[in-house]
Amino acid sequence: MFVSAFAANEAPGTKNPEQAAVPFRPESGKFPPLEKAASYRGELVFVDHANRRGSIRVEFKSEFFRSPPTPVALLPYGMVRYHGAPADLRDIPLGTILNIKAFLPPDPKNSSVVTTPNHWYPLPPENHAILIEDEPSLCLREGKTWRLKEVDMKGDLGLVVATCEPKDAPETKATEQKLTLDATTRFWRGRESLKLADLIAEGTWPASGKKSLGRQSVLLGLCWKPCPDGIFVRYHISDVWLDDPSTQRAIRSQTEVHKSLIRSRWMPAFVDNVEYGKFGRAKVTVTLFGGMDPSLYADFKKGGQTAINGAENTLKHAGGSYGPAHMASKGPVLEVVNASGAAPMGSSGIQVTMETDLIIEGIRPGRVVRIRASEWPNLYVPREEYIGDHPSVEDRFPSPALFPRY
Amino acid sequence: MKTFIVLGSLFLVLSSLDVSAFAANEAPGTKNKEQAAEIYRPVAGKFPDLAKAHTYRGELVFVDHVNRRGSLRVLGVGVFRRNDPHPFAMLPYGMIRYHGAPADLRDVPLGTIMHVTAYLPPDPKLSSVPVLPVDSKDRDANHYRGIGVFPAENHVLLLEDEPSYCQRMAMTWKLKGLDLEKPPGPVLATLESKQGGEGKATEQKLTFDHATRIWRGREALSVADLIAEGMKSLDGQALLLGLTWKPTPDGIFLRLHIADIWLDEASLQRAAQNQTETHKAFIRSRWMPAYVDHVEYGKFGRAKVTVTPFGGMDPALYADFQKGSTMLINAAENTLKHAGGHYGPAHMASKGPIADVSKPDGAAPLGSSGMQVTMETDLIIEGIRPGKVVRIRAAVWPAVDLPREEYLGDGEFRLEDRFPSPAIFPKY
Repeated sequence: MFVSAFAANEAPGTKNPEQAAVPFRPESGKFPPLEKAASYRGELVFVDHANRRGSIRVEFKSEFFRSPPTPVALLPYGMVRYHGAPADLRDIPLGTILNIKAFLPPDPKNSSVVTTPNHWYPLPPENHAILIEDEPSLCLREGKTWRLKEVDMKGDLGLVVATCEPKDAPETKATEQKLTLDATTRFWRGRESLKLADLIAEGTWPASGKKSLGRQSVLLGLCWKPCPDGIFVRYHISDVWLDDPSTQRAIRSQTEVHKSLIRSRWMPAFVDNVEYGKFGRAKVTVTLFGGMDPSLYADFKKGGQTAINGAENTLKHAGGSYGPAHMASKGPVLEVVNASGAAPMGSSGIQVTMETDLIIEGIRPGRVVRIRASEWPNLYVPREEYIGDHPSVEDRFPSPALFPRY
Repeated sequence: MKTFIVLGSLFLVLSSLDVSAFAANEAPGTKNKEQAAEIYRPVAGKFPDLAKAHTYRGELVFVDHVNRRGSLRVLGVGVFRRNDPHPFAMLPYGMIRYHGAPADLRDVPLGTIMHVTAYLPPDPKLSSVPVLPVDSKDRDANHYRGIGVFPAENHVLLLEDEPSYCQRMAMTWKLKGLDLEKPPGPVLATLESKQGGEGKATEQKLTFDHATRIWRGREALSVADLIAEGMKSLDGQALLLGLTWKPTPDGIFLRLHIADIWLDEASLQRAAQNQTETHKAFIRSRWMPAYVDHVEYGKFGRAKVTVTPFGGMDPALYADFQKGSTMLINAAENTLKHAGGHYGPAHMASKGPIADVSKPDGAAPLGSSGMQVTMETDLIIEGIRPGKVVRIRAAVWPAVDLPREEYLGDGEFRLEDRFPSPAIFPKY
């Protein structure tokens, strides 16, 4: 099995028409089949990272500016990818165009976002995401590249004609898209962070008028800016990675950010099995969630110590006034198994079995937990990232009332 | 309310600021102790007295950029991680600075440490964030959090990140004991005046790690790059730092983390240029916010309207308002949302020629551009009255439609759109 954090080269989103009549909902404790996911893309408009939710302006074949931000929540095992690396919602700048694979709410009663978006826009009811990724992450996962065909510079604004196509394929008939760029666009080349003016000064980019770009292969970061002339939707290029070293540097930087986050917030996981012993003892087997850097998984070693803490579907720690370790159950790692076969998206494919003398209600099969490898620092998390010792219902089950209705 | 207006007018003192978009080298927040007992609130249509502001720092935890508000974890003397995110709202003329350039809240990454210059809510009844007892900043928040972490002064005039603050105050960071090969390591740092001085700057401990970004000229570097170059330390070098916060071990109350290091002036200038361009494009599409100073009514809906554009923007934006050219003006809310916009803000806007552009004598207060634009229109409407917030567009700016959340609805208008409720902020 490919233990990698990420299930690559999947083609999700194409629903089986025969099953369309039966609404599919993910089940607690299980990773849903990706082929039942809906796919769409849109602009990140609002983020409530502490509750792993936000709003997306979904792209339709209509006037984009009218599309009202629609709320989206991450499934507990839902993954965020930014710059080709694992990320948290807090890492993604507002305005970024994101590609989403999502399901209906697993349990509509406990949904932290509206369950039936009632709008004359066909807002997707599949608003519980298993994967949220920006444009370069999507291209890297699917082995695609943007090819720049031509640019037309008029004043400060450039209009680029480009296609997104498989990286290794010969010239294809991919649909041409028009994108804008301007002085805010960042160009990355090796270790250089460049501006449009730098490229114009070098002569690789025209100061005005049209220039062929010869199908130059690049990765693009996309955002959206209001466009004139009644254009329904035209994306704006926020970033251009001109070569592979610059892409790799962006990946490394974001990976380090995320590794630091997970080491301090602990690895989320599903409880697969609890083998109860006496006097509160138990053997607990968990499946670590996917999408992380392999070095994080490697920190769970047989014979090492681990701590496991109850968590919510939002991945908030249960109890944390004195740090998540305070109420966590501790014990040795008995076994680490890489499951055979391909891991479903959302799962790492890695099972960790630990023994503890403090089995508690939050650690039951199907529940979400967070576990910590012994070499990770013993830290306290900030107030909004744990459930209080005397929690309100809102802490555990955030209400969708946060989101405005348009 | 009347009392507040009278008090506000009495205390309104124009500070001696440059007419430029930004008031440099101020040291706000030092209140006159003799007046401490008075309650000062900004007044609609006027820019507040900088001397009466309260200043503090905090980590940006939550952003509702559409309503120009968010939450900050305020730095105090207690256990930082326990401080509940504290809601704040931008005043209509409140300015944001990021990387030494004008910005919108949407431009600032979550986690950034921000410097805040703020006031009590101008009108508590209409506050979009919770209203607290006026002496909150002097109260102990208990639970080891200490004094001052929930200030009632939550309406912000100036919100700026660390490099913006350092540039404005002409200060620079110096590091000591930094071992690049040992991240995540604590490093001693001092914030010093660029000009130097006799006083010894206080040492602070900061952390850095492999996620720290380093900027040198046009290069974007990592710690590993510097090590590969044979560099082992940055000790003694004048730097600008971008600060954030990460949970710290060993029961440390508060230790900030270095997110970015600018090694030279060129690299910071490049960051500032990029952010300036971002903000220029933003204002050109959303229009320049302004106060209506004066309306001289004519006949049949005609009027001469004089407005003061808000401050803190790139001079090129102000220069686009030229006498003789056409201008548009649209009503807006305190959140700077356009009133009506289903067909774009220009649809319901009043249009007309610019009759005059002037720069009144004297220094402009922080929040004001210090310039006045007078236009003539044949469509004077309720939203364009003295003291109201409007948005104006120069003729050379593009005519674009705005996203749904940035304007008030036409048909399905609700009170919540105009006056966002503070109810969205969680109580811990």
